[in-house]
Amino acid sequence: MPDPQADAEVAPPVSITIQAGVDHLAAVRAFVRASAIPAGADAETVADLVQAVDELVCNVVEHGYAGRPGSVEVAFVPSADRLAFRIRDDAPPFDPTAVPEPPLDRPLERRHLGGMGVHLARTLTDEFSHRILPTGGNEVTVRKLLRTATEGTPDGHRDRPTKR
Amino acid sequence: MDIATDQPSADLAVIALTGELDGSNFEQVIGAGRAARDGGASRIVLDLAGLTYMGSSGLVAIHSIALLLHGQEPTSPEDGWQAIHDIGTGAAADDAPALVLAGPPPAVHRVLDRSGMLSLFPVHADREAAVAAASA
Repeated sequence: MPDPQADAEVAPPVSITIQAGVDHLAAVRAFVRASAIPAGADAETVADLVQAVDELVCNVVEHGYAGRPGSVEVAFVPSADRLAFRIRDDAPPFDPTAVPEPPLDRPLERRHLGGMGVHLARTLTDEFSHRILPTGGNEVTVRKLLRTATEGTPDGHRDRPTKR
Repeated sequence: MDIATDQPSADLAVIALTGELDGSNFEQVIGAGRAARDGGASRIVLDLAGLTYMGSSGLVAIHSIALLLHGQEPTSPEDGWQAIHDIGTGAAADDAPALVLAGPPPAVHRVLDRSGMLSLFPVHADREAAVAAASA
């Protein structure tokens, strides 16, 4: 569970709220880009965050709400050395971090791609967490170390602990 | 996202995608693949060079078109494809690959790589090379 005190926030969160619908995914991706690029993230970091948030919000829309009306809030929470996006919904409790890894080595006809979006969100970010909100909805947070176009990662490490 | 289909020969279609491929439009890509197959194409080159984004929904589209070319119907990704017959049988019975991917930009290539798709489909640097491979 994310500790709100773990990161000394350097700017107040800024958020976008969409109605649950795949037609609004493009607006979410635009929000992630508009948040991460001015923070100084390099192109790969931005692309990874765009993908992770898009996949997770798409999952909320398609499976969490499953056609029912609802809203999804995506908030940008930057700190000194990392960029976080926090996704909140009012859908039934679901922990994407508990989704098992998809079998990538199966023959094509034996594969199913249902868990692929979560797999991408997990592998493209440095931290991936979920909690149930007091109001009953879900909060999923993805974090990525801030790697800038000019200076690389703070402390020079790009490892993804506990991944794979 | 724009979809442009070209049929350079009777049994080969080239489907070029431009823009962002995501959960809102991947079914249109499957529809384009189905239309090409129904129009006589047994091989398809999917030209990804114009994509600025591809979500995992795009993987479902690629997977589904491959199944269509092998005479199978894509089902919901949530159901899996466990019941589906051997993919070696179907429309493209000879040596040329049925589905060839062309020109994925780096971010799209990364998605293909991390999902294990690169080992399943031939990927060529550009449309011309992909068409040549699919015509072999």
